[in-house]
Amino acid sequence: MSAASVPPGESRAVQHDARDDSLRAEIERSVQRIFDENVDAAAFAEVERGEWPQRLWRVAVDAGFAAAPARAAHAGIEASWADAWPILHGIGFWQVPLPLAETMIGAMLLSMADAVVPEGPIALVDDACGGVRLDRAPGEPTLTGQASRVPWARHCRWALVSIRDPGPGGLALVELKQGERVRIVAGANLAGEPCDELAFADARCALRIDSPLPALDAPLRHLAAMARSAAIAGALDSLLAQSVRYAGERVQFGRPIGNFQAIQHALALLAGETVAARTAALVAAGSAPSIASAGASAAFDIAVAKLRCSEAASRGAPIAHQVHGAIGFTREHPLHRATCRLWSWRDEYGSDAHWAEQLGREAIGAGSQEFWPALTRRRFGGR
Amino acid sequence: MTEGRLDDDDVRDAAQSPRIEPCVPDAGCERLRVEVREFLAESLSGYPAAARARHWSAADPAFSRKLGERGWIGMTWPRRFGGHERSQLERYVVLEELLAAGAPVAAHWTADRQSGPLLIRYARPTLAARIVPGIARGETYFCIGLSESDTGSDLASVRTRATKTAGGWLLDGAKLWTTGAHRAHYMIALARTAARSESRHAGLSQFLVDMKAPGVRVRPIRNQADEHDFNEVSFERVELPDECLIGTEGEGWAQAATELAFERSGPERYLSGMRLMLEMLDASSTDDARARVALGRLVAHYATLRQMSLGVAGLLARGEDPALAAAIVKDLGASLEQSLPEVAHELFGGSMPVGSTLAEVAAYITRAAPSFSLRGGTREILRGIVARGLGLR
Repeated sequence: MSAASVPPGESRAVQHDARDDSLRAEIERSVQRIFDENVDAAAFAEVERGEWPQRLWRVAVDAGFAAAPARAAHAGIEASWADAWPILHGIGFWQVPLPLAETMIGAMLLSMADAVVPEGPIALVDDACGGVRLDRAPGEPTLTGQASRVPWARHCRWALVSIRDPGPGGLALVELKQGERVRIVAGANLAGEPCDELAFADARCALRIDSPLPALDAPLRHLAAMARSAAIAGALDSLLAQSVRYAGERVQFGRPIGNFQAIQHALALLAGETVAARTAALVAAGSAPSIASAGASAAFDIAVAKLRCSEAASRGAPIAHQVHGAIGFTREHPLHRATCRLWSWRDEYGSDAHWAEQLGREAIGAGSQEFWPALTRRRFGGR
Repeated sequence: MTEGRLDDDDVRDAAQSPRIEPCVPDAGCERLRVEVREFLAESLSGYPAAARARHWSAADPAFSRKLGERGWIGMTWPRRFGGHERSQLERYVVLEELLAAGAPVAAHWTADRQSGPLLIRYARPTLAARIVPGIARGETYFCIGLSESDTGSDLASVRTRATKTAGGWLLDGAKLWTTGAHRAHYMIALARTAARSESRHAGLSQFLVDMKAPGVRVRPIRNQADEHDFNEVSFERVELPDECLIGTEGEGWAQAATELAFERSGPERYLSGMRLMLEMLDASSTDDARARVALGRLVAHYATLRQMSLGVAGLLARGEDPALAAAIVKDLGASLEQSLPEVAHELFGGSMPVGSTLAEVAAYITRAAPSFSLRGGTREILRGIVARGLGLR
């Protein structure tokens, strides 16, 4: 816009969502350096052999990523999720093979409840994984039930489990290494990352807490869905960068394939999906509750983000493969690391149908008069 | 690099994707939103849903003048042009509320969105000072003369020609698909002022044309939704005084591109057909799983496009170039709106009660939807702009 049509004081109504740009920028620099140097072929090979990538985990913990959203007393820096965005997005961009987002979420919830945050990675067992109930029989309370497809469970000593007891936000901290009381059957997601079955039989429960986040009735699922949304946006950013670069270098019919309009339009579509996913995920990270903020619109923003990002994953991954041709379909080429994670992440912590059902039920219940006010408020119901 | 040798460093060096940063309207904007909603509740009470669905082509000069009185046209322009020196985000809030309510905005919309800013930026100050305040009052309306019979997406091929005379210019030729020409007071016309040379984009200039000038003829064309929205406009030796050359002779292409970026950057590109979404919500039951999933998906698209559109307003507010982000939002917005009749067909096809509001609105949006990816830059043109932004062209 020209100077003539921009009146003085133009920017007065503009606010960035990032509360503290300097913290986010600092985290971003650290993420760039750490992931760029350490997420390497050796780490992927370890995970694909079924081993725990200890060196990479150590580096991420030492950089302060795992505890970032926790209180200072628990080795955290009380980062909001907007501050931590570069970590969550970086997990997707570099396809970091670690339960890092899960551990960050577990550390924050335990820290906010003033519980001791245990060492090591933490798995999240959401109700969407199955049903685990608390047995309040005399003596110590125990957990019984099944959970399927729990990311990274076999490598985690601890799990935070949604028990919906006494209320929707009820959580239990459970040690997973307790013999027959917690049986683990190894599984894998499409990218070869651990995704395991858990069977709890009178498993001892180390701690029960009420969720410190009243804005979310399913805190594990919501926060993990927010983190997966950011990771999907990061993986799409990586797909777009790889695809644009490849289209500029691969020559067929005497010119780079990026010169062909069919390829240009396919990449424009991928760019559109990538920007949409990134915007939705950023908004969700901006409103997700943390030590720094309560997150009034979080439930809506997260449902929107996970659904929109999953759709973007479904539309984006095939475009990247189509542009790359046969080479992108090989084991040798890194493209599959991003696309296979996208196809797994869209299912995890609430599939498209799960979040669509929820948003659809709320929107139909609210009716036409309430639709637009709810979009601007980013919440169905309430004032 | 040969294929298969793409290592991670290459990936990280590659271009970043286009960015839209989320933007939060401040408390002042939210107070303004309440004010606009109260105004609309009062001034549109009793305005039927089927009419709200057609708001895009509904011109109501009395309503436009009322908006002008409230200071909601020309909101960001300098006061000396009758503007109100408010922020881009305040303007955005007013626009999205008007569109969401289905207010009849067609009379003044083009003038507010692109002709006013164009005149302020490029016209002689005396000319702008004479004409722009009328736009801000909601009294002066514009149409845009770009397309011709042999000129659609390929704008550089325009044949309407302006010939220099002693005191001005003589305009000859014809424009086609000109929205609102029949109610506009002025047109901003793109015309050839020099023969085509090696640079296809050189030799084009923009002119202000008084629609009442001798030699200007407007012929209506009905569209397939049975509306009179666009027209053919012919010019036969239309005399234009010198001051009607807008900006620099021969720079019309670049000026028109700036203007089109304004045209594409607003929320109308995803809020033209929302009435059908609203009717589907009211016609659905929370017990219907198919409806919950189909409409829930649309909710996520609406919410995301709103955030993207707000982000584009944030770019404008910071004085950044919105062209790339706006092209992406318009392309996604048109696709969302074109999916609405498909969802209506899937959920209600063959079972909409005759004469119901849902049936009426669906019939209208189904027939109007093809235009969403044509007007203001076709889908193909937009994807070309995005590809250029990615460094592919």
